[in-house]
Amino acid sequence: MKTATATTTKTKSDTRLVDGLNLVLADCYQLMALTHLAHWNVEGPGFFQLHKAFEHQYEELFHAIDDIAERVRALDAYAIGGLSKLAQTADMDEFGPTMSQKDFVAALIVAHEKVIDDATRTRDHAAEMSDLETQDLMIKRLTFHQKTVWMLKSFLK
Amino acid sequence: MNSLAATICTHEPCTSTTCRLTCALEVIDELLQAQGTVRGEEVDALLDLRSLLRHRENAEAALALFCQLRRTMEERHYLAFYRLRRWLENQIEATVRIVRGAPERTAALRLDWYCLEPVRFHCLQSVRQLGEPVLAPRVRFTFRANTHQVEDGRQALVALASDVIPT
Repeated sequence: MKTATATTTKTKSDTRLVDGLNLVLADCYQLMALTHLAHWNVEGPGFFQLHKAFEHQYEELFHAIDDIAERVRALDAYAIGGLSKLAQTADMDEFGPTMSQKDFVAALIVAHEKVIDDATRTRDHAAEMSDLETQDLMIKRLTFHQKTVWMLKSFLK
Repeated sequence: MNSLAATICTHEPCTSTTCRLTCALEVIDELLQAQGTVRGEEVDALLDLRSLLRHRENAEAALALFCQLRRTMEERHYLAFYRLRRWLENQIEATVRIVRGAPERTAALRLDWYCLEPVRFHCLQSVRQLGEPVLAPRVRFTFRANTHQVEDGRQALVALASDVIPT
């Protein structure tokens, strides 16, 4: 049985693509941690809505992380890990536990935008390499993050 | 992806070490283009703020103007003011003197208030040691020296030197 597509074989040796995927992996991991922090500590009149929305978001990110890491492995490379390594790679601005609910939302928008930026570049590079599977995965990620940014922005209006 | 996000963090995450000089200017430009939600006098104030941030000279005036604009506009443009706040916190620092004649200390800026005096007070408290007396204190705001700017200046000098010095 054939287990690797032609595009996968071609992209196996492409370190830029793997680096891009690992960066998106680190971004998503850190964003998940930040969303979890917001879920625990958000306060105010929008508490129930935001607490629930943040829970949905970090759960989605948890599954996404697994998909991205497994794609790295499918390209015959290794997925990065370890909290300090992931935080260092993602290099996102962290925030503390005591903020207004609007600040939590704004900070998460900025973090989602960072993922969108990195995932867009990885998607485009995958397209250049004709790696449709990685491109498809990045498109799915972008769809989620763009939708989440729209929802979070709507809350601020 | 919205254009505001694209202009702010396209190549580098916006942290204190990597924040690009133009971030805040781009946010202000977006605000100036937000038709129907910015009043005439706010446009004038935004242009003044843009000029102060561009020249990086009068941090005190920039912060005072930012606080004034924040009080009137944040409700309508929360995200833009959040970005400006983070940018200013990364780019401006406070120099604190607790006692007249004592050495100055540097404090990080936190823009959690809507006018300058509580910001100043927070900076003072953040570097003051327990029980330390306060006598004629002074808190000054200044733009941080920017590594990008230094590098740009260095490159400009090298380019100038290569033009002037015959090889």
